[in-house]
Amino acid sequence: MKESRRNFLKKSGCALGMGAIATQMNHLGLVNAFAQKSIDDGANPAGDAGYKALVLIYFSGGNDGNNMVIPNHSDATLSNYAAYSAARTTQGLAIPQASLLPISVPAMGGLSYGLHPSFGPIAGQPNNGIHELWGLGKLAVVSNVGTLVAPMTKTQYQQNLVQKPYQLFSHSDQVAQSQTSVANTQAFTGWGGRLSDKMTPLQPSAPNNPLVPMITSIAGAQLFTAGQSTLPMAINDSNTSLANVLNPSGFTNTGGTARKVSFDQLRTYDLNSNYIKAASDVTNLAIQANSALQVTQEVTVTFPNTSLGRQLKQVARLIKERTDLRVQRQVFYCQIGSFDTHTNQLASHTNLFTQFSQAVRAFYDEMGVQGVSESVTTFTMSDFGRTFNPAGSGATVGSDHAWGNHMFVLGGSVQGGNFYGMPTANGTPFPTLTIGAAGPDDTDSNSSARGRWIPTTSVEQYAATLAKWYGLPQDAPTLASVFPNIGNFNTNSSGLNFLI
Amino acid sequence: MFSLRSVPVKFLWLAAALLIVSPLLIAAQSDPDPNSPTPILVSIEGTPRLLTYQALKSRKHSLLRPLLDFVRPGRLAVMFVANLDLMDGEDANAFRIYARDEKGRSYKFPVVDLAPAPGQPDVYAITFRVKDEIGYWKDPISLGDLVVRLTWRGLSSNELLLGYGSKGGKLEKEKGLKSSSLSDIKTSKVAGTEFETEAIAGVGYKWSGDRLRFLEQATFGPTVDLDARIRRIGLRTWLAEQFEKPYPSPAYPYPNIPLKSTNSDDATLGCGPAPVPTTLEYRVCIRDHYNMYPVQKWFFSEALYGDAQLRHRVAWALAQIWVISGVDIQQSSWMIAYHKVLSQNAFGNYRNLIKDMTLNPGMGDYLDMVRSTRTNPNENYPREILQLFTVGLFELNQDGTLKRDVNNNPIPTYDQNGVNNFTKVFTGWNFCNTGCANSAPGLVNFKDPLVFNAGVTALGNNRHDLTAKTLFNYPGAPNSTIAACTGTCDDTLSSIANYANTSLDQTLDNIFNHPNVGPFVSKTLIQHLVTSDPSPAYVSRVAGVFNNNGLGVRGDLKAVIKAILLDAEARGDAKTDPNFGKLREPVQLLTNLFRHIGVKGAGATGTSDGVVNGQTSALGQSTFSAPTVFNFYPPDNVIPGTALLGPEFALMTTGTSVGRANFANTMVFSQIGISENAPQGTSLDFTELQNLAAADTTSNRLLDVLNQRMMHSTMSPNMRSSILTAVNSIASNNPLQRAKQAVYLVATSSQFQVQR
Repeated sequence: MKESRRNFLKKSGCALGMGAIATQMNHLGLVNAFAQKSIDDGANPAGDAGYKALVLIYFSGGNDGNNMVIPNHSDATLSNYAAYSAARTTQGLAIPQASLLPISVPAMGGLSYGLHPSFGPIAGQPNNGIHELWGLGKLAVVSNVGTLVAPMTKTQYQQNLVQKPYQLFSHSDQVAQSQTSVANTQAFTGWGGRLSDKMTPLQPSAPNNPLVPMITSIAGAQLFTAGQSTLPMAINDSNTSLANVLNPSGFTNTGGTARKVSFDQLRTYDLNSNYIKAASDVTNLAIQANSALQVTQEVTVTFPNTSLGRQLKQVARLIKERTDLRVQRQVFYCQIGSFDTHTNQLASHTNLFTQFSQAVRAFYDEMGVQGVSESVTTFTMSDFGRTFNPAGSGATVGSDHAWGNHMFVLGGSVQGGNFYGMPTANGTPFPTLTIGAAGPDDTDSNSSARGRWIPTTSVEQYAATLAKWYGLPQDAPTLASVFPNIGNFNTNSSGLNFLI
Repeated sequence: MFSLRSVPVKFLWLAAALLIVSPLLIAAQSDPDPNSPTPILVSIEGTPRLLTYQALKSRKHSLLRPLLDFVRPGRLAVMFVANLDLMDGEDANAFRIYARDEKGRSYKFPVVDLAPAPGQPDVYAITFRVKDEIGYWKDPISLGDLVVRLTWRGLSSNELLLGYGSKGGKLEKEKGLKSSSLSDIKTSKVAGTEFETEAIAGVGYKWSGDRLRFLEQATFGPTVDLDARIRRIGLRTWLAEQFEKPYPSPAYPYPNIPLKSTNSDDATLGCGPAPVPTTLEYRVCIRDHYNMYPVQKWFFSEALYGDAQLRHRVAWALAQIWVISGVDIQQSSWMIAYHKVLSQNAFGNYRNLIKDMTLNPGMGDYLDMVRSTRTNPNENYPREILQLFTVGLFELNQDGTLKRDVNNNPIPTYDQNGVNNFTKVFTGWNFCNTGCANSAPGLVNFKDPLVFNAGVTALGNNRHDLTAKTLFNYPGAPNSTIAACTGTCDDTLSSIANYANTSLDQTLDNIFNHPNVGPFVSKTLIQHLVTSDPSPAYVSRVAGVFNNNGLGVRGDLKAVIKAILLDAEARGDAKTDPNFGKLREPVQLLTNLFRHIGVKGAGATGTSDGVVNGQTSALGQSTFSAPTVFNFYPPDNVIPGTALLGPEFALMTTGTSVGRANFANTMVFSQIGISENAPQGTSLDFTELQNLAAADTTSNRLLDVLNQRMMHSTMSPNMRSSILTAVNSIASNNPLQRAKQAVYLVATSSQFQVQR
């Protein structure tokens, strides 16, 4: 019988099957060809020499930072509470001044600002919340951060004199741009992933190599965590123990041993299909990490039993296990959702901010107990800010998609108790809360103006500051490979000074 | 397993001629061979090196031995491909050229032109640019040999060496690269110029691999009965039959759930305050009214057992485009009203779907249109109807590729000003709480369509924005502007209502006729049904049908679904393009496994109750409860470490990859037991496979059947032998455990995770 077409297909498949895409399984940092210097070259934080972790808490949906950090003063030279109230009280979106948690801000001439009341102590909740950390100098605000290709004034925005981020105000695109840090074109890798690409080779090589990937997501697959050579570990929250989080069950009944052999063997076949290969790569990573996670590790502090509480509790367990996992640097991605508050914002914010404050404070306290406060920096990001002008009114009032937004950074290495960021038109990091033609930070001047602040600090500047603390080598090629547009920002391009 | 009849032919166009004259095949002429020929790249005589040279302006590319053995980066070059059988209109965008370097990095070279090679009518010259278009790795770092392949209709050519700037390097030594010069091809030294078919007399659809592949794409999983049906009546007749099937299947009608108060504590219209301790009656009330449980239970029952598989599958795809979610949608009755819009329009016209969905109360609530008024407009629905449901963010060619401006940048379809204008149109609609079929005091009417200016009695309280609107302006655009409502237009509430309703229809026409809608909707549906990264030519063929079903009708979904499922890129026994296929989403993984093996209740008899959502939920897909309007996974998700589109891979992480194995472990070695909310439970029915394993102690028959059903006969010899070893490690007097061993291993394999 002549060779059938099917057989030919199989043969050619084998010939073709060397894997058309690059081998991404630079397993757990084993490849160390480019390691020229130790990860310890940079200054080590006190407490746990050699270990540093960045913990991103992503506010999914676009957080209204305008109601997170609010003027609490009556100074006429800067936007004050009255200016805030004038824009938001009528429709019912303003937070009453009396309920604000006051913070004194050196960068604003010592004026008082206020945090949303949910960041303080709440009856029935396990801790005092994060407002207390402001006074302790461990909580900072980075103001008016957003996606940018290059710095941009209102005139430049309106006359298209500087390239704008593509598809402003669209969720999916702004999420992508904040997670990739690249606002001028579609990117396939996140800045967390690229940071790990550069930092992973600086960790020790086999046999002392880390046993898990540098990046872990507790909230599923995220563009932020994707690098060119980094595959992230993604695990469930603390409802699943570390020992079970990547553990394939079974294999103990009749035929189990032989089943496991074949189960593992099958992942080495048919890799000529890129989809099959991608599925096998992910499973391989899981099975390898699983053997390192067969441990019992519990935290000391009480975490709230919320989604974010459970995520951060899982992060805390992993950090506690850091020595046995042989990790020196880790990036964690956590997420808290439902910030797309077109409606019902007041109730949603109270719920979400309480969840955030309680979970993050528990995590901060746990890091203290573990003796790694200075080694762990927690920071927030979001899709975008929201319109200063409310959407709707009354009980269901909300806000629409906007741009520049405020971020929290907290941890033992944070120079807290202050606002950071490149100056806005008023000379401070905090935008002028004026809508329309008279508002130097609003995108629009006409009747459709809603108070969408043009960011003054780019996501890249914010991220690069965090990456510098993390130990990213600061030579220009390395910096540009992680933050391709950083060169467009000429001042303090990788140092907004909110970290020691 | 097959009885093969090999027909040696030199070229497939000869095969096409044979098909016409062969009396054996006349009976099946309504079901032509679904297998496309395999393209063959032409090499230089005696070497595995691509015959290539710089492209000529004349396009007259002949098969001469080139002076240089390499092509210059950035320039246009030409390659030759044989063994094609082009359809009318099939052009350059049907082909994709991939290259890899010695580090295994992958590049894609844009195909610029396709032309017959002069003097060689059997061969086509393909002009391509030696410039990566993916941008993931940028260009190859160093000069030297790359390995190139061409893909067409989901099939891969042979691979050959291509000198990139110069020749030489490690790839030259790679095994398996063989000469495929024109003389090799003509003397049949190159395999693949043959085709096979089953020697079965009589009518019917004979390609068994393709039958099962088709059912993977068109249903929630093949069954023995469905396979037999298609074998008898063919794909087209089966599609026609499915278009007419009653839906939902008579055995699984939509749950009839009454509207309840939005306050579940309400004693008469809700479930009343929660008793302490809680009672069964209370728990059931909450479960059935304030939870997606009844919708999910019904959805999986129809998927596992229903007859109207195609409509159910298409409605599920549409539900993942027009997303609303139980995360926000409070009541199951609301979700059912929404699903009826999907299923009733699944074989209808997309324009009607747009209108019905715009006025669906669940959608109106989820994306806030019910709260958008003249004085307090809300941009949520206008933004998402454009971005996610109809035109997308950037201007598209008919083949789904991005249009570019002079600076090579994508062209946004609209900006914030556009959103502001569309927003005005969608102001003023609200729930029909009085006067509609389901209106009742104390209830929000989530069943009947939204109505305009509901409850407004004074002219001054009109909620609709009466100013002028500027809409899309593309060539031939209907209603690119809507004039303000002035003069007599705003004199009465009824004249305003006329204006608003007319404006809405005009606006939906303006959106629906945007040239993006065809490629946008077609590509997304292809991704849901067939393959994650379809060729532009495939998208273009389907979008062409969307634009005009042949009778001048735009948006005919029945025609679009036929075009998707019967396309040459979808059909065939097996696909060899490394980038063809899609990861099975958790729902498809579950339903396919259950239907392949057979599914029943957890007790001795009876069917599954459909309470299986907990299994897919653990894998990231809780049905009717997507985390956001962006669905469980985005259509443009790129697999980390590659530049390959893989929407479902957004749900494939270290955690869920193990979760998939644990799901199989639960179902194969255990079951979903009977409980308060799972009155019948769910388990796999191993009776048939156990008998097979008992009857043939070599286990070959067992593997044959699993290969045929679960892998539509594409299981590789390696895979088969590995599983066979594991199966036969179990004593032959334990055939049940042998059957389970085999099913577990196939079900957990990456090969089965991918629908290919």
